[in-house]
Amino acid sequence: MLGGFFKKTKYITMPRKTQVKSISHLNFLGVQEEVQPSIPDGMWQKCKKCGQILYTKDVEEQDQVCPDCGYHFRLSASQRIQQLMDPDTFEPWDEDLVLQNPLQDNKYLEKMKQLQEQTGLGDALISGKGSLGGYAIVLGVMDSGFLMGSMGTVVGEKLTRAIERATQQKLPVVLFTASGGARMQEGIFSLMQMAKTSAALAKHQEAGLLSIIVLTDPTTGGVTASFAMLGDIILAEPEALIGFAGPRVIRQTIGQQLPEGFQTSEFLLQHGFIDQIVTRKEMKEVITKILALHEGVKV
Amino acid sequence: MFKKILIANRGEIAVRIIRTCREMGIETVTIYSEADRDALHVQMADEAICVGPAKTADSYLNMENIISATVLSGAEAIHPGFGFLSENSKFAKMCKECKIVFIGPTGEQMDQMGNKSQARKTMIKAGVPVVPGSDGAVKNVEEGLQIAKDIGFPIMIKASSGGGGRGMRIAQNEEAFTKAFSLAQTEAQSAFGDPTMYIEKYIENPRHIEFQIVADQYGNVIHLGERDCSIQRRHQKIIEETPSPVMTPDLRQAMGEAAIRAAKAIGYQNAGTVEFLVDKSKKFYFMEMNTRIQVEHPITEMVTGLDLIEEQIKIAAGFPLAYAQKDIQIKGHAIECRINAEDPAKGFLPSPGTITELYVPGGLGVRVDSAIYHGYAIPPYYDSMIAKLIVHGDTREKAMARMKRALGEFILHGVSTNIDFHYDILHDVDFQKGEYDTGFIQKKNFLSQ
Repeated sequence: MLGGFFKKTKYITMPRKTQVKSISHLNFLGVQEEVQPSIPDGMWQKCKKCGQILYTKDVEEQDQVCPDCGYHFRLSASQRIQQLMDPDTFEPWDEDLVLQNPLQDNKYLEKMKQLQEQTGLGDALISGKGSLGGYAIVLGVMDSGFLMGSMGTVVGEKLTRAIERATQQKLPVVLFTASGGARMQEGIFSLMQMAKTSAALAKHQEAGLLSIIVLTDPTTGGVTASFAMLGDIILAEPEALIGFAGPRVIRQTIGQQLPEGFQTSEFLLQHGFIDQIVTRKEMKEVITKILALHEGVKV
Repeated sequence: MFKKILIANRGEIAVRIIRTCREMGIETVTIYSEADRDALHVQMADEAICVGPAKTADSYLNMENIISATVLSGAEAIHPGFGFLSENSKFAKMCKECKIVFIGPTGEQMDQMGNKSQARKTMIKAGVPVVPGSDGAVKNVEEGLQIAKDIGFPIMIKASSGGGGRGMRIAQNEEAFTKAFSLAQTEAQSAFGDPTMYIEKYIENPRHIEFQIVADQYGNVIHLGERDCSIQRRHQKIIEETPSPVMTPDLRQAMGEAAIRAAKAIGYQNAGTVEFLVDKSKKFYFMEMNTRIQVEHPITEMVTGLDLIEEQIKIAAGFPLAYAQKDIQIKGHAIECRINAEDPAKGFLPSPGTITELYVPGGLGVRVDSAIYHGYAIPPYYDSMIAKLIVHGDTREKAMARMKRALGEFILHGVSTNIDFHYDILHDVDFQKGEYDTGFIQKKNFLSQ
């Protein structure tokens, strides 16, 4: 071995330097610029399931799915619409619906204004009309990034109007759910939305029209207990949390341990609650196929 | 100028880069896999960081660990060497994102030249001669067949994302074309994930002559002469020399200018090599551009007196080129023999093992670039090249005599090498006359072929 011939090297096994030197670049004008190498925030992220460090751009390319283990990260409503709908065909509805704040809760109003600014969303649902695989549909997509996707009066009203318009225009309805349940800050008015949306959907179904609901992670509470489980066809993304009450509450109520995989899409599929689990990659194709079966193949 | 550089490579090129950095007063950090703990580059560098287990994909190709190592060590730039991540545009872009200087071209320039059918299109536009063939990518087998009929058989079917001899099929006539096309395309899809194909007229046994170019960040581009790399075994170069025995001053000027045009067409920066095929009538055609420093760069250094690694570092640090084309002089003749740890008697099977005896040749005009030492255990996970023997002489005859002498002095026991194989080539009559092409090795049947 050549030990002793060369300067002793250090084998680094843990971070030893936190201070980074800056370098000088000689730019075109001969002026020195100081540049510090650093890893920008968000360039890498950790997969919640397999723990692998992932390059964020790689994850984005896979529509927010871990390239290693296939874990489905949550999508925002606009990301979902981008991925799903035929380009430039989506026309959003009721973007101007304004929060009523029925319980006169000022803190709630503050919070909402903040969230609206942060996310660019008006509330936790985007509804509208567009083309999916060449089929005209009415689409509703919930966004778990907006107050946990909770359903309040605006979400309920937007959804109801969308479904009613679909009934009127004889269009199928496709809904993506992602919610922590009914919005507490709007009290009984939120609860009311459960009945309202379920009724609208019932009328839609009476008219012989098709409704496809896709349950995504997480779908719980009042949303599960209303329109989410009322579609003609119910699909789910893999490993999504789908339930009504929280596991602790259920355990305390029934006094028993809960089975393995309780409240996951796979568990629900096994027990007959949903029709099929669809990965994000196949989602558009599967929905298009269902639409084709019901609407007839497009020429 | 950089204060510290991380070398994202191993073996002799890592040693090569460390040497120049030392001379320039730049601190060095190297990376290594668990299998390379005893490697020379790890011992030579000022700092060394283990980036993963033996498998290349988990260590030398582990972009996340390499970037982390760079930021942790405080290095401001990464030299990628050749192979590994040197032509990985994703990695180059990642470096840019982290404000790490990547010593080489930009990711976008790599993509432009990495997509072979796209590169072909760009060259046609820039007025660089290309092999007669499709304009760019071929849409389908029918279009390919039509173009093939127009330019005449035999035809070479190539993968856009291939290169260096991979993803290619020859079709001798119309009947063979369709099958060859779909076979090549399937191979391309599985090997490179891209089924885009293009076609070129197959030039029988051309000479492979490449031009070294260097370009700074201000649009200055010069060439540093050619290298004749026609001595190849299965598309892998074995011996390189400069100047090429068939080169004339006029041809050098024409090819050099074409190489510069090729680089300027994409605004290329840093060191690069433009590869040409030269047919029997001395017509030259653009083949591909390698957007990295190459294995055989030492022979160019011997005849020009330049340190190409130093040039790369200076360009990356933002310095303009210190030379104009007229300043470049080619003096004498240089030859390089790639010494591989392989057994020519067993079909050149790689032969890793421990080096038990080592005597490295020396003397006037002899240079050995390697990372081996007495007692070194060559790991089986990486490529089999263990040393480069380079000689320089005033004339080609002197260089050949020197190479024969140096090969004779080279003692390497413990692993099989191709040193005797090189010795046979140097004694070959046609090689000595300079009359050879890319079909040389196959035709000659040295040792056991």
